[in-house]
Amino acid sequence: MAASTTSGLLEPDFLRKLERLALISKRARLGMAKGERKSKRKGSSVEFADYRDYVQGDDLRHVDWNIAGRLDALYLKLFEEQEDLTLHLLIDASASMGFGTPPKLEFASRMAAALGYIALVGYDRLSAEAFCGDRVFRLPACRGKGNAGKLFAFLEGLDAGGPTRLEESCRSYLVRNRAKGVAVLLSDFLDPAGFEDCLRRLCMSGSDLYVIHVLSRDEVDPQISGDLRLVDSETQAFTEISMSRALLRRYQQNLDGFRSTLRRECLARDIGYVPAVSDMPFERIALDVLRQQGMVK
Amino acid sequence: MSALFQAAAGSFLAPAFFGFLGLIPVVILLYLLKLRRTQVVISSTLLWRKSLQDLTANAPFQRLRRNLLLLLQIIVLLLVVAALARPFIRADATGGDDICLLFDRSASMQTLENGRARLDLAKGKALEIVDDMAGSDKMMIVTFERGSDVLCELTDDRRRLRAAIRSITASDTPTRVRDSVLVASSLQASTPDLRIVILSDGKIADLEDIGARAFDVSFLQVGATSNNAGIVAFSVRDPLEGVGQRQCLVLVSNDRPEPLETTLTLYLEDETIAVEEVAVPAKDVAEVVFALPDLDTGVLRAELDHDDALAVDNTAWLVLRPASAVKVLLVAKGDSTAAYFLKRVLALNPRVEAGVMEPENYTGRGDYDLVIFDGFAPDTLPDGASVFFNALPPVEGLGEDGVIENPPVIATDPDHPVMRFLNPQNVDIAKARRLVLPDGARPLVSTQGAPLLADVSRGGRQVLVVAFDLADTNWPLRLSFPLFMQNLVAWVPTASLAEQTYVATGEPITIVPTPDATAGTVTLPGGATEAIALDPTRPTYFGNTARAGLYTVQHGEQVERHAANLLDFHESAVTPAAALEIGRSEVAAERDRIRQNRELWRWLVLAALAVLAAEWWVYSRRAWL
Repeated sequence: MAASTTSGLLEPDFLRKLERLALISKRARLGMAKGERKSKRKGSSVEFADYRDYVQGDDLRHVDWNIAGRLDALYLKLFEEQEDLTLHLLIDASASMGFGTPPKLEFASRMAAALGYIALVGYDRLSAEAFCGDRVFRLPACRGKGNAGKLFAFLEGLDAGGPTRLEESCRSYLVRNRAKGVAVLLSDFLDPAGFEDCLRRLCMSGSDLYVIHVLSRDEVDPQISGDLRLVDSETQAFTEISMSRALLRRYQQNLDGFRSTLRRECLARDIGYVPAVSDMPFERIALDVLRQQGMVK
Repeated sequence: MSALFQAAAGSFLAPAFFGFLGLIPVVILLYLLKLRRTQVVISSTLLWRKSLQDLTANAPFQRLRRNLLLLLQIIVLLLVVAALARPFIRADATGGDDICLLFDRSASMQTLENGRARLDLAKGKALEIVDDMAGSDKMMIVTFERGSDVLCELTDDRRRLRAAIRSITASDTPTRVRDSVLVASSLQASTPDLRIVILSDGKIADLEDIGARAFDVSFLQVGATSNNAGIVAFSVRDPLEGVGQRQCLVLVSNDRPEPLETTLTLYLEDETIAVEEVAVPAKDVAEVVFALPDLDTGVLRAELDHDDALAVDNTAWLVLRPASAVKVLLVAKGDSTAAYFLKRVLALNPRVEAGVMEPENYTGRGDYDLVIFDGFAPDTLPDGASVFFNALPPVEGLGEDGVIENPPVIATDPDHPVMRFLNPQNVDIAKARRLVLPDGARPLVSTQGAPLLADVSRGGRQVLVVAFDLADTNWPLRLSFPLFMQNLVAWVPTASLAEQTYVATGEPITIVPTPDATAGTVTLPGGATEAIALDPTRPTYFGNTARAGLYTVQHGEQVERHAANLLDFHESAVTPAAALEIGRSEVAAERDRIRQNRELWRWLVLAALAVLAAEWWVYSRRAWL
């Protein structure tokens, strides 16, 4: 189906490309075909829930041949029991995300838009939440391509502000949204409290976990110089520095350490780690890296 | 502090500038205050804080680097202050400066060193200095003996300089260098690269009164010998109270390191009248006294029979003049009290030929040397010397303003010739005129706010005015009165002239012309003659007396002789000085090349500029990483 909604976040061409992708749950990769997932319920009858377009690669056993004969098209039957995928999008919209050229939040929103669109098109459930410190913006769970407009509107309306409290925000979300599936956290992870607690919290969710670590070019490669008083956008704390080669080198070291530690922690917990810089060509990441990560296919 | 610096290789000409080191805390303060930071809001300072902490953990080197700018600024300040203090080291002169050459041509420079006069040696050294001059250097030549002469203005024309040097001749005069050094030193202030070089044997008497200052001069010494003996004093003493004979006193100095035995001969005109053996210990003086026959006039000559390095001080002359009578005219009412006392006191002085005249008969001074007016003043001042008792001489600006009752004598001026040995404090005066003196008048005896006796000489005429009538005082009964009259008589030029037996070389000869003389001739020792113009109303002074010897002055019918002698102990002590003490500096003698004070301030300023450039570089490197 052609995209009925256009979005400032994503190009129509790109949306079309996205329609060809589908989210992957790692559990499915373990050899379980759709519809053949183990269900916790025992001895229940399989109840028919909905139809879905047949796409190449789907299991032919689930094709509804009656409809196929009548409508001359292939549709898949979806069953209730089938554990359908819920895509959880957790977007960090704290004040630090508002920095960068383009802002990190914009990049995160675009990523969220792409992933969300894939889920919606694939008739997976989508639930999204953005945290701005104490405030939380929610996109209620929805399904189907018709809700793409709602998703884009939600994402476009996000403004950065407030402190970063990753662990708290993740916990509060996951308490309210227990459906298992794929959870993606988009953040710069510049949390004074660190990220380990947050990661641990995520692991408790039971979902497939991905982390998209967005940083800005200014953070990766700072161009500041001289004697400065740096103000933290979230805590308003001052740090006075006198720029020097040594300081810059130190900063780079710490930055690399920060990223590599996060990656290591993610790997250790079987969390997919996608590093990104907000000025990278968005479409390339969206298509290539996500595939590499095994997030989409 | 200055002793500390002088202990080092160099020393400082203007150490006061080290006070500027007090600016260092100011620099530090400014540095601490000036670090204003631009405020920048960034996403998160997490990583920056951590990096900063890591850096300061590697503390010492980082802190040092941060303070590098401060260090450099302090170094610049130190260099600038050191430059201001003008450090210098003594280094061989290699040209590159302007030179002010003070050339000694006093009597001691005639001393022979192995047959060559010191003057010639000095000329040779001066020519060497001219040869050493670099392309654009300039030199000025000032010769000094009793006075100084600028022989050559600051110029780089080496031919002119050499010609000037070669033209220098010696003089028989003693050395006075103070004025030359002061003038050259002030020139140095306006011409910074001017080096002052004193080319001399160092026999300079007046350096002590040059003031306590540091002088930047070099002393190039010539001469080495000390083989000289000379006459340093020669005088004639009158017998006391007419008892005994006239005596002649000669003082002989011996500058040699061993004792001297020689002969001193005394001549009158060309006849030998006395011969004495003289023994003078080493570096000492000895006195010889001759008894003189009773003679009034003539030229006495003393000669030392010693062949030594300096000849000019081996002979001395004295011209004896008859104690001529001083003609004094008293113009007063013959029966007044004042006239009585004046006549009496004038009669006391054997040299005085007194005349008395009534005021109405006065027509002029005639051929009197001194006119005393009592209670009367003519319309025009007489030439020569005059004294006015109780009358106002016709001097412009002199007036009276009332009468003072019982004025006590409060102040006197003892330096004036007529005030010698006078103590008029015990004189009572009943009343006196309140005199108003003109500019330039010199009060000699004063009461509160008004003069009682004043010197109002002007225009070559010597005039004294006394503000009271002798009859109103008890002065004639005091000792100071006849003493005053005696001084008055001696004050008259003809009288003072009679007492003068010689002048020091360089000092002027006083010529008192006859009333009809308007011109005269002077014959110098050596035979040269000079014509001079004379003014019959006043004495004339002839100054070209640099040569020692006899000068003959002819004016009108009169022929008189004058003597000029060196008679200077310092000049006769010819041993060259090892160092000159000029003001606060002691300048060591240099014999070959002049060593100059090479000032280092230029290097220090260059270093300061280099450090400043380095500081700017470090600063910009920090800013742009």
